[in-house]
Amino acid sequence: MAFSKLYDTHDAAVADVRDGATVLVGGVSKASEPSGLLIALLRHDVTNLTLVCDFSGWDGSEAVLRLVKAGRVARIFSPYPFLGSGGGVIPELWDLGDVEIEAVPQGTLAERLRAGGAGIGGVFIPTGIGTRFDVDKEVRTIDGVDYVLETPLRADFAVLRCHRADTVGNLVYRGPQRQWNATMATAARITIVEADEVGEPGTVDPELVITPGIYVNRIVQSVGAPTI
Amino acid sequence: MPLSESSAMNVARRAAREITPGAVVALDRGLPELVAQATPASMGVWFLRSDGTLNGMPLSAADAAAIVRGGYVDLAIVHPAQVSADGSFAGRLHSRNPGVAAPGNGIDLASSAARVIALNPRIGDDDDPAICLVEDVDGAPDGVGCIDTIVAAYGVLSAENGEFILNEVPAGRTVDDALSAIRNALIRPSASGVREMDFTPPSGSPDSKVFPDGPAALTDVPDGATVFIDGFGGPGGMAHYLLISLRDRGSRDLTIVSNTAGIARVVSFGTPPGRTAIDHSVLIENGQVAKAIASFPVSPSVSRPSEFELAYRRGEVDLELVPQGTLAERLRAGGAGIHAFYTPTGVGTLIAEGKESRTIDGRDYILEYGLRADFAIIRAHKADTNGNLIYRGTSRNFNAVMAPAARVTVVEVDEIVEPGQLDPEEIVTPGVFVQRIVKRPDGFTGYE
Repeated sequence: MAFSKLYDTHDAAVADVRDGATVLVGGVSKASEPSGLLIALLRHDVTNLTLVCDFSGWDGSEAVLRLVKAGRVARIFSPYPFLGSGGGVIPELWDLGDVEIEAVPQGTLAERLRAGGAGIGGVFIPTGIGTRFDVDKEVRTIDGVDYVLETPLRADFAVLRCHRADTVGNLVYRGPQRQWNATMATAARITIVEADEVGEPGTVDPELVITPGIYVNRIVQSVGAPTI
Repeated sequence: MPLSESSAMNVARRAAREITPGAVVALDRGLPELVAQATPASMGVWFLRSDGTLNGMPLSAADAAAIVRGGYVDLAIVHPAQVSADGSFAGRLHSRNPGVAAPGNGIDLASSAARVIALNPRIGDDDDPAICLVEDVDGAPDGVGCIDTIVAAYGVLSAENGEFILNEVPAGRTVDDALSAIRNALIRPSASGVREMDFTPPSGSPDSKVFPDGPAALTDVPDGATVFIDGFGGPGGMAHYLLISLRDRGSRDLTIVSNTAGIARVVSFGTPPGRTAIDHSVLIENGQVAKAIASFPVSPSVSRPSEFELAYRRGEVDLELVPQGTLAERLRAGGAGIHAFYTPTGVGTLIAEGKESRTIDGRDYILEYGLRADFAIIRAHKADTNGNLIYRGTSRNFNAVMAPAARVTVVEVDEIVEPGQLDPEEIVTPGVFVQRIVKRPDGFTGYE
């Protein structure tokens, strides 16, 4: 019997997230976000968080907004820092100076996370040359083309969602769940995953595993996620 | 005024006419997503969306970004807040918070797509062109000088020499109507005449990727080409039939990039008695290889040297030795539009000689460069006719990482199926990376 990473409750899985932590939040919609873990973070009295997330589909989601509204979030690092409609609590808090926002190109965020997870010290990419995104960064001209040096991004925690996990943390996603959850899984010191289904090792087809369990530290089952 | 549903669809229909069959088209969020609806399925277009899906195939954000940065996007359709008269744009400026823009994937697209067009620029819900088509965008642009066409409900424009040229107006509207309705001093009618906007769906279909046989798929491999050859150590996951086809093609002076330089023959795992495994050796003994870039170029047995070793000892071939993980990462970089990267692998060893070194946060790294090739010959289990691939077991090895990094990727498969027959969750290599598909002949074994 392999060592199980399964936690009994969402609260137990996030109990050691401390003030000031950087947290990668996977998913962009109700179907792809770790809503139970986010609510557990809200119940766990933690503050001054830096969240890294793509807000592009968050219009239907409340969990991150609740964290922000409750004053737990000091900084948001995102390609889409606002909801599609442009309104809501985040721009209001940003106006007040209560939340710091750092906007970042979507692909650059993805590549910085990948570099963070893959042990890469930095990448020279063409994205953002000539825009505000090459300011204060090293730019190198190679064969007549300009590239900007982007550095790896790693976090203390990732809170993620997947469709199916086995108890050693091999993960399968469904549809757009894969986008950020798979990209972030490799880039945190502690990766915590909320799975819709959890099975014993051997119940997930190895050809379909997207995130191998070596990247995953904790698993909780999404059924019975805590509510406020 | 916000766009009505019908005028939004007309914008999408007109934009769809900019798409060519088989193109890879990246869609910004919102209005551009309607363009997929306005494009007939028979066009064989690949739509990459900001949620990381490619024609419904889910991709990780890193893989989706790699498609964009790797230069695979033929056309990007963005929906910016403002377009300036030099073709720059600012995406998603926030009407209430103009200091923070949401760059989304607009900057990725502006930096790497072959062509960028803008739909109906707007600020918030306001699409007033007097505000959105400007001399210079407010604040810093997301893309610089990259927009060549603007498709809006009131017409089609181009940004040229500091002006917006009105090239088309909808039926039933005169140029004067349009200009007086728009009231933007930067817009002037095209000197060569203003046409009527055409909303007819585009047509055509892409060329088939399925080739009748290996020789037909490799007929244009020139002398001096760089060729990726997949495979790990043994015979598994190697495109044996394409290797024989390349031998028969006879291209010379090849640089081959591969994990080994051909050791399956000397290792001979599972080789039936009296036969030899097909590997890179068939090219080397035919005098076609000038250089190998490989991580395991020698036989594991001193007493049974490989063809490459023998040729190396004779001084007939060059070798660039690359650590296995660095080879994989250089291939990934080559396909993902990463020119170079810092890796800790090889620091303090011979591998680091002559390379830039750098200490970052107390750790030492060396700079390695992305690898690209003219051709890749790879092996998969199944392909659909669009080139989407699945592998079987460890035969995935270097195949999946090589496919995006070659100009022409040729795949040898056991089975070719119709589009829709592969589970999108199971596809490992999306068809945008595969140009040619060849079925391995029935009974072909991988041994000579």
